[in-house]
Amino acid sequence: MKHKRPYYFIAPLMILIAWSITANLGIISPLFLPPPQTVVLELTHLFVSTQIIPDIAFTLYRTIIGFLIAGIIGIPIGLLMGYSDKIYHSLEFIVEFFRSIPATALFPLFLLFFGIGDQSKIAITSWAACLVLIIHSMYGVRLGKELRMKSANTLRVKGFALFQKVIFPEALPQIFGGMRIAISLSLIIVVVTEMFIGTSFGLGHRILDAQLVYNLAEMYATIITTGAIGFLINKSIIRVETGVVHWNGK
Amino acid sequence: MSAIELRKVCKKFEQANKQLRNLRVLDNISLKAKKGEFIAVFGPNGCGKTTLLNIIAGIEKSSSGSVRIDGKCPALAKVGFVFQNYNESMLPWRTALGNIELAMEGQKISKKDRMRIAEHYLKKVGLSRHKNKYFYELSGGMKQLIAICRAFAYDPDILLMDEPFSSLDYSTTRKMELELLNVWRETAKTTIFVSHDIDEAVFLADKVIVFSKRPARVKGIIEIDLPRPRKLEMLSSKAFIRIRNKMLRLSEYET
Repeated sequence: MKHKRPYYFIAPLMILIAWSITANLGIISPLFLPPPQTVVLELTHLFVSTQIIPDIAFTLYRTIIGFLIAGIIGIPIGLLMGYSDKIYHSLEFIVEFFRSIPATALFPLFLLFFGIGDQSKIAITSWAACLVLIIHSMYGVRLGKELRMKSANTLRVKGFALFQKVIFPEALPQIFGGMRIAISLSLIIVVVTEMFIGTSFGLGHRILDAQLVYNLAEMYATIITTGAIGFLINKSIIRVETGVVHWNGK
Repeated sequence: MSAIELRKVCKKFEQANKQLRNLRVLDNISLKAKKGEFIAVFGPNGCGKTTLLNIIAGIEKSSSGSVRIDGKCPALAKVGFVFQNYNESMLPWRTALGNIELAMEGQKISKKDRMRIAEHYLKKVGLSRHKNKYFYELSGGMKQLIAICRAFAYDPDILLMDEPFSSLDYSTTRKMELELLNVWRETAKTTIFVSHDIDEAVFLADKVIVFSKRPARVKGIIEIDLPRPRKLEMLSSKAFIRIRNKMLRLSEYET
C-alpha cells in the first residue's frame, strides 16, 4: 500500500472533531468531558514538567517484566500441550477454567501470596498474559501442517530435532499473534493493578488520583498516554514479527 | 532380490458407520521393481495410488500382504518421498539450499558435506542462482524441483513420488520431467512414480503399472521400450503413440 499514511489519520481525526464539537458547544459539561485543547495543554504540561515520566517508566517496567515472565512460562507450556496429547489432556481443564475468570478478580489471592508491592502486580499480569500465550502456542503446534511433520519424519528428522526444525517454526506466527494480544493485556492489567493496589508511581495510579480530585483533563491526558504506549509496544512487536516470521502468509 | 517387492497387498479402511461395509482401497496388489528401475503407477483419481505409496513408505500399514524393500521391512529402509503438495511438505522458513539440507540433518553428515551435496543437486536442476532464496520466493515448478533434490540428497534406497507435477501447467510439467530424469539418471534410484497423466507415465517410466478404479487392482503392466535418455520429441513418435494407445485400451474406462 503506497498511500497508507493519510488513511491512518482519518478515524482519529473524526473522533477528535466529534469530541471537540460536543465539548466546546457545551453539549456535555466540561466538568465531565474537557475539550481537547485543555487535554492537550495538560498533556504538554505533564511531559514538559516531566511529572509523568516516572509513571510511564514504572508502568512500562511492570508491563514488560510481567510479559517476559509470561512468555518464559507460557510459551513452553503451550508448545508442550500442543505436542503431547497427554500433557494437553492433563492441563486442558485448568487452562480453560481460568481463561474465563478475569485475572483482576483474583486480586485477593495474589495479594495473599505476593504482598502489596510490585511483585503482586507483576504476578497478576504474568498470570493473565501467560494464559493467552499458552493457548496461542498450543494452537500454533496443533494447527501445524501434518504433512510437514510426516515428510520430515520420512527424512528421519525426529524427536527434538523435529521440534526445533519443523514444529517450533511452524508455530511461530501463532505465537507472535498471541504475543501481541498478551502485551496489550499486560498493559491493561498493570494499569488496573496500579489503580487498586497501592503504589506511588504508575499511569493507573495517576488516572485514579486525577479522577478522585475531578481533574479530568489530567485523567484524559494520562489515558491518552497509556493508549499511545500500548500502540507503540504493539507496533514494535509487529516489527519484530515481520522480520522473524517473514514467510507468514506467503 | 528385487529392490521393491509387494505381495498381495490389500488395504481396507474401517468405516465409522458400522452399517457400511469396509472401504476397500487396494485389492491384491503385487508388483516387483528391479534395482534402478523407474516404475510409473497409472490410475484414475482416488483409486488408492497415494495409499499404496504410503504403505510402501511405511507411513500406513497394509491390511494384509507384505512389502519388502531390499528384503527389509519398510520401516528399516530409507525411503525418499516427494509429495504432491510441496507447499505443505517443505519448509517455507528455509532457503532452497536449507530445504535440501534438511534431508541430511537426520544423518551423520557434516555441515560442509551437506552444503556440497545440496549445491550439487541445485546445479543439476539448474537452480544454483536461486539457492539463497526463501522457499516461498520460488515458483511452483522450482519448488517441486527443490523437493525432488531433497529426496535425492537423502540418498534413499528407493524413491516414491506422488503426482509431484499435477499442479503445474503442461509445458512446465514437461520441463520438470526432463529435469527429473536428468537427476535420476545420475543415481538410478529405484523409483515408483504415481501419476494420472498418461503422457507423463509413458515418458518417464521403464514400466507402467495400470490400476483400475477403486478398489485398485493391477489391470496390466506395460513395458516402455523407448530409448534413454528420453527426449521431448519422443512424445509425438510412433512408438510413443503406440504405447499410449495400448495403455488407453487397457485402462479403458470401465463404467
